[in-house]
Amino acid sequence: MTSIDVQNLTKEYGTRRVVDDLTFTVRPGRVTGFLGPNGAGKSTTMRLVLGLDRPTSGTATVGGRPYAALDEPLRHVGALLDADAAHGSRTGRDHLRVLAASNRLPARRVDEVLEETGIASVARRRVKTYSLGMRQRLGIAAALLGDPEVVMLDEPSNGLDPEGIIWIRGLLRRLAAEGRTVLVSSHLMNETASFADHLVVLGRGRLLADTPMREFIEARVRPSVRVRTSDDTALQAALADHGHEAVRQEDGSWTVPHARVDDIGRAVSKAGVPILELSSAEGTLEQAYLDLTAAETEFAAQSPSQEV
Amino acid sequence: MPFTPVLRSEALKVLTLRSLCGTLLAVFAVTTAFSALAGSSGTSEPDFDPLYTSLSGVMPGQIAAIAFGAMVVSSEYHRAGIRVSLAAVPRRGRWFAAKMTVVALPVLAVGTATAFAALLAARAGLGPAADGLTTGEQVRAVMGCGVYLTLIALFAAGLTTLFRSGVATLSVLIPFILIVSFVIGDAAGGAADFLPDKAGQIVLHQSYEGPLGPATGLAVTAAWAAAALLAGAWRLRHRDA
Repeated sequence: MTSIDVQNLTKEYGTRRVVDDLTFTVRPGRVTGFLGPNGAGKSTTMRLVLGLDRPTSGTATVGGRPYAALDEPLRHVGALLDADAAHGSRTGRDHLRVLAASNRLPARRVDEVLEETGIASVARRRVKTYSLGMRQRLGIAAALLGDPEVVMLDEPSNGLDPEGIIWIRGLLRRLAAEGRTVLVSSHLMNETASFADHLVVLGRGRLLADTPMREFIEARVRPSVRVRTSDDTALQAALADHGHEAVRQEDGSWTVPHARVDDIGRAVSKAGVPILELSSAEGTLEQAYLDLTAAETEFAAQSPSQEV
Repeated sequence: MPFTPVLRSEALKVLTLRSLCGTLLAVFAVTTAFSALAGSSGTSEPDFDPLYTSLSGVMPGQIAAIAFGAMVVSSEYHRAGIRVSLAAVPRRGRWFAAKMTVVALPVLAVGTATAFAALLAARAGLGPAADGLTTGEQVRAVMGCGVYLTLIALFAAGLTTLFRSGVATLSVLIPFILIVSFVIGDAAGGAADFLPDKAGQIVLHQSYEGPLGPATGLAVTAAWAAAALLAGAWRLRHRDA
């Protein structure tokens, strides 16, 4: 079992504390979304896991070992940090060949990941002629090169076209289904909601949440029910009988907050209200995230002594 | 993590960048052309040294060797390439050793071949004026020239690792080689013999004066290169990538 374990990890640049006593574990078999605003410390944490930056204190290990102690690390961990990292004057294929050589990966892996990421047709062109989306795919190809159990991608959907975004979603789901450990950072909520099973949320270097995505949303956003009827009076009466209050929307439909569709559906049907439409409006990750950060801001404002 | 794959990867990096291969070609072309030119022009100066005249193309040619050493390293600091490289090879000491090997070996091979070609080209022009050269002197100068170019390329590579910038290295070394060493070289006497370029170039002369000889001169240049490499390695090992 290969997890990423971060223990009391702290990183300071000068006096600026970018990562503040972080502890969390990224487990295999699911996609973990790594969320937080820009500057929250997501990329720094990833660099610390890869041993590129040294922690001020604390540890980060992969499968129980520090990254630098891994023999041929690309066979264990694949990472995309920066789509611009490949040298512009090298071809995409050569970029991958160089990486493959250093970890004794067979040359056929280069062609396999080029096919898999859909850039085989431009592989012999220089990287500087690539669009941002192609560079992003090349970075992902490099991450997959060693067929690693752990995949860590920093903002992988940056610069991808709609087709590419659908592709990366499928790729992440597949990698997790194969039992790999997948950590994907993003600041795009709807995007993350489309692939993540679990969330690790950072704010100013600190851990704000480490929970399954469903729980995260359900704990913070109560679901509501949307109803449309031809008889508004009957609907209101039926809902009032069950202690619900509906809010009329601009389009003529009604929203029943803090309610479940099963209860509302039974109640209105028993009362014989004509129903044109009945649907549940689930809370979104975005709403939950905003609720969390609003709470954090409040907390920070109330206890300024906690800062500095 | 064995050394050979890391070395193969680094060699592949050099071979897959046309600009680096072009720079090595420039070492050969520039040196040989300027030596040929020197061989076909005047031989009437009082302190005429046929060996140094034949290899004088090294003066402009070494700029290309410096550029090669600097660019092999600076291509890593181009954007965030160094992070990809060190994520693939986290043993930084081993990575640095491989990097310096792919600076040294090509320059040694090309530099020695260049010196040989430059000597032949210049002697074609010099004719009987160079007849006094012994085989030993010529072998010493050709081999020494290869070693000198290697050391000066390593010096540049070490500085580039320290500065994390090829531009910084070139803007320090090239004015230094072209101006400072040239001006102080005549003015300061003894101490100037110990400058990295002056010391190593003693091996290119038929006759030499002063405290250093061909071997000790190269040793002084090697010490400069070693200092730059140690400083670069220290920075690489102890700082965030």
